[in-house]
Amino acid sequence: MAVTRVEVTPKQGEGMRDVRGDVVRRQLMADHNIKVEEVRSINGFLIKSNISKAEITERVNDLFSDPIIEDVLTDTLFLSSSEHFPTTPAAAITIGFKPGVTDNPGSAAFDGFKTIFPHHDHQRDASISTYHTYAFFGLPEGVSTEWLASTLHNNLIQRAVITDANGCSNGQWPAIDYPEKPPQILTPPQRMNLEISDEELLSLSETGLLALNLEEMQTIQSHYRDEAIRQSRAAVGIVTDAPTDVELECLAQTWSEHCKHKIFASKIHHIDPETGEDSVIDSIFKTHIMKPTHDMQKEVDWLLSVFHDNSGVIAWDDDWSVCMKAETHNSPSALDPYGGAMTGIVGVNRDILGTGLGARPIANTDVFCFGPPNWEGELPDNLFHPSRVFRGVHAGVRVGGNESGIPTVNGAIVFDDRYIGKPLVYCGTVGIMPRKLPDGRESHIKTPTAGDIVYMVGGRVGYDGIHGATFSSLELTEESPSSAVQIGDPITQKKMLDMVLEARDAGLISCITDNGAGGLSSSIGEMATYTDGCEIDLAKVPLKQPGLSAWEILVSESQERMTIAVKPEDCAAFDAMAQLHEVEATPVATFTNTGMFHVKYEEETVAYLSIEFLHDGVPQLQLESEWHTPTPELFTPETISLPEKAGHSNLLLRMLAQPNIASKESWVRQYDHEVIAQTVIKPFVGVERDGPGDAGVIAPIHGDPHGLVISCGIAPRYSDLDAGAMAAASIDEAVRNAVCAGINVDKMAGLDNFCWPDSIESVKTPDGKFKLAQLVRANRELERVCRAYRLPCVSGKDSMKNDYGTGEKKISIPPTLLYSVFGDQPDVRFTATSDFKNPGEKVYLVGISKEELGASEISFMLRDSGEANGIGGQVPLLPNPEINITTYRALSTAIQSGLIRTAHDCSEGGVAVAAAEMCIGGRVGANIDIDGTGDASVWSRLWGESLGRFLVGVQPENEDAFIKWMAGHPITILGTVTESENLTISDGYDVLIDVETNSMVEAWQKTLDMTGGVA
Amino acid sequence: MAAPKVAVLFGFGINCDHETAAVFNLVGGDAERVHVNNFVSGNRSLDDFEILAVPGGFSFGDHLGSGRLMGNRMRFALRDQLHAFVAAGKPIIGICNGFQVLVKTGLLPGPSAQTPLPDFVQRASLTLNDSGRYEDRWVTLEFDAESPCIWTKGIERIDCPVRHGEGKFVMPSTTDFDALAANNQLTVRYVDPSTPVGKGMTDRPLPFPLSPNGSMRNIAGICDATGLVFGLMPHPEAVYAKWLHPDHTRNTAPGPLTSDVLGEWEGEGLQIFRNAVEYVLGNR
Repeated sequence: MAVTRVEVTPKQGEGMRDVRGDVVRRQLMADHNIKVEEVRSINGFLIKSNISKAEITERVNDLFSDPIIEDVLTDTLFLSSSEHFPTTPAAAITIGFKPGVTDNPGSAAFDGFKTIFPHHDHQRDASISTYHTYAFFGLPEGVSTEWLASTLHNNLIQRAVITDANGCSNGQWPAIDYPEKPPQILTPPQRMNLEISDEELLSLSETGLLALNLEEMQTIQSHYRDEAIRQSRAAVGIVTDAPTDVELECLAQTWSEHCKHKIFASKIHHIDPETGEDSVIDSIFKTHIMKPTHDMQKEVDWLLSVFHDNSGVIAWDDDWSVCMKAETHNSPSALDPYGGAMTGIVGVNRDILGTGLGARPIANTDVFCFGPPNWEGELPDNLFHPSRVFRGVHAGVRVGGNESGIPTVNGAIVFDDRYIGKPLVYCGTVGIMPRKLPDGRESHIKTPTAGDIVYMVGGRVGYDGIHGATFSSLELTEESPSSAVQIGDPITQKKMLDMVLEARDAGLISCITDNGAGGLSSSIGEMATYTDGCEIDLAKVPLKQPGLSAWEILVSESQERMTIAVKPEDCAAFDAMAQLHEVEATPVATFTNTGMFHVKYEEETVAYLSIEFLHDGVPQLQLESEWHTPTPELFTPETISLPEKAGHSNLLLRMLAQPNIASKESWVRQYDHEVIAQTVIKPFVGVERDGPGDAGVIAPIHGDPHGLVISCGIAPRYSDLDAGAMAAASIDEAVRNAVCAGINVDKMAGLDNFCWPDSIESVKTPDGKFKLAQLVRANRELERVCRAYRLPCVSGKDSMKNDYGTGEKKISIPPTLLYSVFGDQPDVRFTATSDFKNPGEKVYLVGISKEELGASEISFMLRDSGEANGIGGQVPLLPNPEINITTYRALSTAIQSGLIRTAHDCSEGGVAVAAAEMCIGGRVGANIDIDGTGDASVWSRLWGESLGRFLVGVQPENEDAFIKWMAGHPITILGTVTESENLTISDGYDVLIDVETNSMVEAWQKTLDMTGGVA
Repeated sequence: MAAPKVAVLFGFGINCDHETAAVFNLVGGDAERVHVNNFVSGNRSLDDFEILAVPGGFSFGDHLGSGRLMGNRMRFALRDQLHAFVAAGKPIIGICNGFQVLVKTGLLPGPSAQTPLPDFVQRASLTLNDSGRYEDRWVTLEFDAESPCIWTKGIERIDCPVRHGEGKFVMPSTTDFDALAANNQLTVRYVDPSTPVGKGMTDRPLPFPLSPNGSMRNIAGICDATGLVFGLMPHPEAVYAKWLHPDHTRNTAPGPLTSDVLGEWEGEGLQIFRNAVEYVLGNR
């Protein structure tokens, strides 16, 4: 088949711009301070088809180019055309995909190609591949073309063809060719001999990326020594005394840390020399997460489905239930920030679609932890600069979320040096489903029976995404594999989503789950537990390219796939629906009740494992945990000499510019946060719509003001003092944010997403006992606070190997819990935002400021600048959560009753930063007096981050009613919103801070505006 | 009288179909989400509907230019049905990606005031925002009171979100704009909210973010010469209720003081959809 090249470039002329080129130019300026005069862009298409060049040339304006705004050339490089490029560039770089990598524009172009050549017989391997060329004009001296190319592509998935200044003047233009994938040869299933030494077992696990430990390998070894098992295997004609490669891979996926959460399920021997404790915890998950939630489930009627499904489901009203799930995609995002993050968000969308009989995703949340974007220190091998990770991750979730039509309503971005080693990319999704389907079934309950036909729906299976689950269960190294990296395809998924929800409402679905980690082996394997068996034929699975071996088909994590069970009598209707939506749906398996996970390739049995052994055969880990309180150098602000007048004022401007506090608006605004026409409180609020929002509020049923609140809390740096306090603070922050929007505190649920460094003591991790003790303390605090708040954890996830490298070079992330809250908001017409509303509004502190400056943002800032010695001290604690929740209930109902329309969570940077943010949102000033807010030091009352606190604004006419409403709760008048343009904060007669609101706006907005402007 | 039947297209990455159907239903329409392929295959006929809405979204991922591939499907497969629809005096709206689709099918701006019916020739385009960024932000829009557009009667100025990366409206020459202006087809423009109502529209490009995309003559939306086909980049359906306006917690969200559907809470965007429903009812 011939390959035809078509190139397109923006027309030049009055009012026209080459925006793609311009974006490259501005980013070089923003990220590297390199000023290029002009960058021009060319989009290229390599069309592999048996349609003639002449026919294609005739139709280019119908498809590849827009005649109003673009010029087009067929089979000629634009760079060689002096008509279009009269000036010779200083460098030209073409970026294309590597063979086999998802090329979404290419697939879309091919779809359009079939529309304009509808009657043509398109050959099976016809396709279109795309590329971009950038031509640089006025490049400063000393900028190498290779370096320039490295900033434009990721060589794990892309290729670059480069022409430097010399080449340009000789007309040697970069001409990239079609990325032909070499043919693959199918390997038949192999017998895996396990009658080998322990060392060989471990080496097999390591070289095969199985991520199984010795005891697990031995468990598998002994399984195949069982005579009864050997006999049953002989009956189906599979190798009797050893696993096939299909079986071993399948077990490795199913038993991976990623899928089985072996650390949370382990038996832990925990000692605490400081208290003398010596105890055993039989599964952190069962003890501290599951048990409390199940206890709460006995007392309320709205917890419909917890833990066992793809997301937790709560009843929202009589007609609708809502569900939520959050996931992490850390390892893939480290290797390819864009693809890793995109597959993170579209992957968690599928968890929602795979909940019950299918829920509709209606809101996304994104929380990222990165190294500092302005990092100037060294970078370990194979790691990207934090600003590059930031840009890539942001672009990935932006494209994934926006193209899927799901609004991003809430999130956070946190910075710390240690996230250079492994960024954390949390993606969450909220879903909604009718309580009952038209056929009367409750939508949160799956109803499979033996005999149901199991379809694979959506995308095809390819080499991309093999070993994701086991890979994420290992630490990141310089040799991490590229097959674990994928790019998402939101449109394929969107088509599938439309179709699946129609099929659900038509009553065609009896069971559904997504294909994520572990691929078909996990999705069908897990669903098969309902009926106790299944039979799969891997030869039926549609492939992206021929030649995949049986084990690869079974475990590949290729994206955009759901596994759906359909009753035999409904298959015809299901097929017709798939055809209408142009979604590929292929029957690949049948549910049975044989007790066996039976996998065939055509007639040959390639895996034959009992459901019981597959799911419950993994031995419980036995781990050691030992706590000792960290003792970092103390933060002693009283020893810092501040300039008399401007001292705290300057600190305020510096604090507002700290990456952890600074506005993320220029990034967040690039997410669609309003699609579906339901978003009541948007990520940014206030007169100029640029003040911080505390929580997302949506009213998902059009015309009905019944609302839903979505919020999050994260405080990883408190782990430097106590991971238990970190967990308590995260939960409290999430709840406080939700309270600010008027959540019904008696109908809210939570998600716990733990990201931890390796916590199993070993040569690689000599401090494993301590890291595990951090996990124990975090979970104990989680149970204590959630029980007090009557806040059930309905779903969660853990990612337990967030380290880079080993030995001296090892970087471990700070133990991090993201806590997300979703819950009922009775009426969105009565809610609150953080912006001060008008002069005269009274400002109150709700809660108590204590002497708690340990690990505070101010301590980190002053330590990093060298002005303070350390960050040690008292970390914020939550001693009486059962009292806090009564205050939260009072405040939330005050908001629900319309008494208060201004409320803001007081966290990083304390009262000073909270008040500043409220002035920014309202573009007003305020007079605040922190005298009367307790006996703690000035530093603590100003900058301290004591939990349980809010700043609220009360209109003068509501002040009496507010005071009565809050009777018995700790409230303190702080001051008044003023006409003046300044925020002043005093402590009695001492004026501590006096700063213009406009200066605060500037300080707060400039740090993270990395857009390079609009000009 | 039976409620006007509204076809709301969906499929292939259209995202705003649910809310677009909902707002028509709020104002007395009978909206149904219909998959594009049901019209293409002939399972369903456009003849059975009185209003057509092409909602926002990312049809085909906006690869090869926003709205291009969906526009092609409609241009090649639905040409006759769409021509008949407009000839029968039935209104069509395209919002955001839907506007991009209508421009790329050639339905907007359409041929001329003299021969107003569709000829499916593309005469304009919507291209990448000057900022280079997809953004979700609120803008202020003002409407040409003299426009023949049946969708915008009586609407002066509203606040709306834009949510797009390719919203810069361009045409090859100033005479193209002048011809549309002469016929009042430049229906809606981005304006500076500090100008007096009715005085905001200007041909001089407004700075970012007043104009979020650098659109020529600040154009946010246009209609065809019949006034039946209307497209705009901003999302009026996203402010069907005051509680969706960013100022609602400040008690200053604009909109009608009362309405039959949402009482004091009707938002400014709903009237556009009510206009079309009333137009159909008035012309039966």
